[in-house]
Amino acid sequence: MSQPTFETAVRTQGVNMFFGEGESRVTALKQADFDARRGELIMLVGPSGCGKTTLLSVIAGTLTPQAGTVEVFGQRLDGLGQEDLTTFRRKNLGFVFQSFNLIPTLTSLENVTVPLLIQGVSQREAEERARIVFEKVGLKGREDSRPNSLSGGQQQRVAIARALVHEPPLLICDEPTSALDKDTGAQIMEMIRTLSRAPNRCVVVVTHDQRIFRFADRIAEMEDGRIRRVVDDPRQLDTTHL
Amino acid sequence: MYRLALNMLFGDRAKLAMLLCGLAFSALLMAQQTSVFFGIMSWTYTPIYNIRSTIWVSDPMVEQANDAKPMRDTELGKVRSVDGVSWAAPLHMSILQARMTDGNFKLITMVGIDADTFAGAPAQLSQGRIEELRLPNTVIIDEWGAQLMGRTVVGPDGKTKTVPLKPGDTFEINDIEARIVGICKVRRAFTGGPFVYTTYDRAKAYNLEARRTLSFMLVEPRDGVSASQLCDRIERETALKAWTTDTVIWDWSDRSLAKNTFWWFWKNTGIPFSFGTAVALGLFVGIAISGQTFYSFVLENLKYFAAIKAMGAGMATIARMLLVQALTAGLIGFGLGAGMAQAIGRVMIEKGMPPFVMFPQIFWATLVLVLGISLVSAIIGIIKVSRVDAASVFRG
Repeated sequence: MSQPTFETAVRTQGVNMFFGEGESRVTALKQADFDARRGELIMLVGPSGCGKTTLLSVIAGTLTPQAGTVEVFGQRLDGLGQEDLTTFRRKNLGFVFQSFNLIPTLTSLENVTVPLLIQGVSQREAEERARIVFEKVGLKGREDSRPNSLSGGQQQRVAIARALVHEPPLLICDEPTSALDKDTGAQIMEMIRTLSRAPNRCVVVVTHDQRIFRFADRIAEMEDGRIRRVVDDPRQLDTTHL
Repeated sequence: MYRLALNMLFGDRAKLAMLLCGLAFSALLMAQQTSVFFGIMSWTYTPIYNIRSTIWVSDPMVEQANDAKPMRDTELGKVRSVDGVSWAAPLHMSILQARMTDGNFKLITMVGIDADTFAGAPAQLSQGRIEELRLPNTVIIDEWGAQLMGRTVVGPDGKTKTVPLKPGDTFEINDIEARIVGICKVRRAFTGGPFVYTTYDRAKAYNLEARRTLSFMLVEPRDGVSASQLCDRIERETALKAWTTDTVIWDWSDRSLAKNTFWWFWKNTGIPFSFGTAVALGLFVGIAISGQTFYSFVLENLKYFAAIKAMGAGMATIARMLLVQALTAGLIGFGLGAGMAQAIGRVMIEKGMPPFVMFPQIFWATLVLVLGISLVSAIIGIIKVSRVDAASVFRG
């Protein structure tokens, strides 16, 4: 692995993660070394059970590894307590989930305001800022719609707006296109790639969806809890086992 | 975040309706049953309420207002001689059978009052004059009794109806005629029988077999002498029992006959247990329904709470959100339940059955209990959410 540079956004070294004890112990990450740069969109790919989601959780600070170091935008996460990790996530991370996780009883605009309200921003200011992001993701006019009345693509746009509204440097996307058709998935990925071009932003995407590999700047292939290799061109991947 | 929490709550109308039903039912049951309980208990000391006097004097073995142990008439002279007594009047109270003109019998509470002073007479007469009690064989009956003891007649349409008794009507007590000369408004008695007022001497005549007929003595202290002081003197000098007659439940003294009557019924009847069971049932049903519904609401929103946690909300923020949701539901549920209890109470008060007394303290106690139910529900939800791993949001 290369030494950290000012361009490094995320860096993990020798990360070990296992679940359970004794005979039921399952190793999810084995000496996982990974890095992502500012301004890039990097994908984590690999077969089911290879540790993609666990590594993503470690980078997001929702899981603490048993060994190894995790550094995100210069901040070591592996030594932080739960409260500090929560504060870190609040300020630095945006999430796009596989099943959107939009609260169905709130309007789309209210869903987008959630990260700002968590930060303590006033309701009025949160709504003003949410409207601006809403327009950026192409959903102007659908602010008062409930998530269930939107199409899958529109719901994912709302989720992206929610992930971006507090301008986090790191965007974590977990299977962002798995619930979308090909064209909608491509549109969403185009949007995510554009967002990743901000100089101080990094986007990490976990996916199985080979149709979107072309949107990645780099692809990290995982196998058995570690990074097998990192490629710049998806054609370099052996996709038969993915 | 609180507004979002409320929007989450109000957005799920089915769950909210269920939650409110549970809380409202619980509040209704607790408030209504407690009010009926206090209403029934207030009936136990009805004689003190109806027969206004500053001090009641009784046989020393008397424990409560419905427990008259008749004394000799000579005791009246002893009480009158106590320093500080302005006046003292005899009072007779007994439960007798009245025979109606149609041959039917009804239980009545006979009250014999002093014919000279009319001390202990009903405060309000809707028909007749109190002075007419001085006429031979006359009585005054309460409105409830007039209705209860009324004549049943068959109308031209073939339907039966009750014609209430009125001045001029008669009935018999121990084969002695009782002619009604007035109808009075008084509070009903715990025993259910109507009050029939007559003079003390005539009450003795109606009680053919009674050797002693002085049930109580009504006493008024002279100016400058407190009721409590005079009670002490009467008890010291006559060896009788003297009671004050304060009936304000939250403020009555240890000497209060009403208070002693209340607690006698509390200790010696199953009334507190049966009503307490109903109130406890309301509480448990509230906890069960509301706890279960709120828990189900939390379960349904668990993945969203996990997402909110992942986005950086601390457990304290989420706990406050759940508390706001549960307590808001609690306040609305209480409003609905207490409102219904009040509405039912109004109907009860108009009909006079069952008795209904909703003290402000009942309102506040019900509010505290309903909010307690909400708090328990919220705590169950908080425990559940606190156990959810933020990383679970990445597991599909």
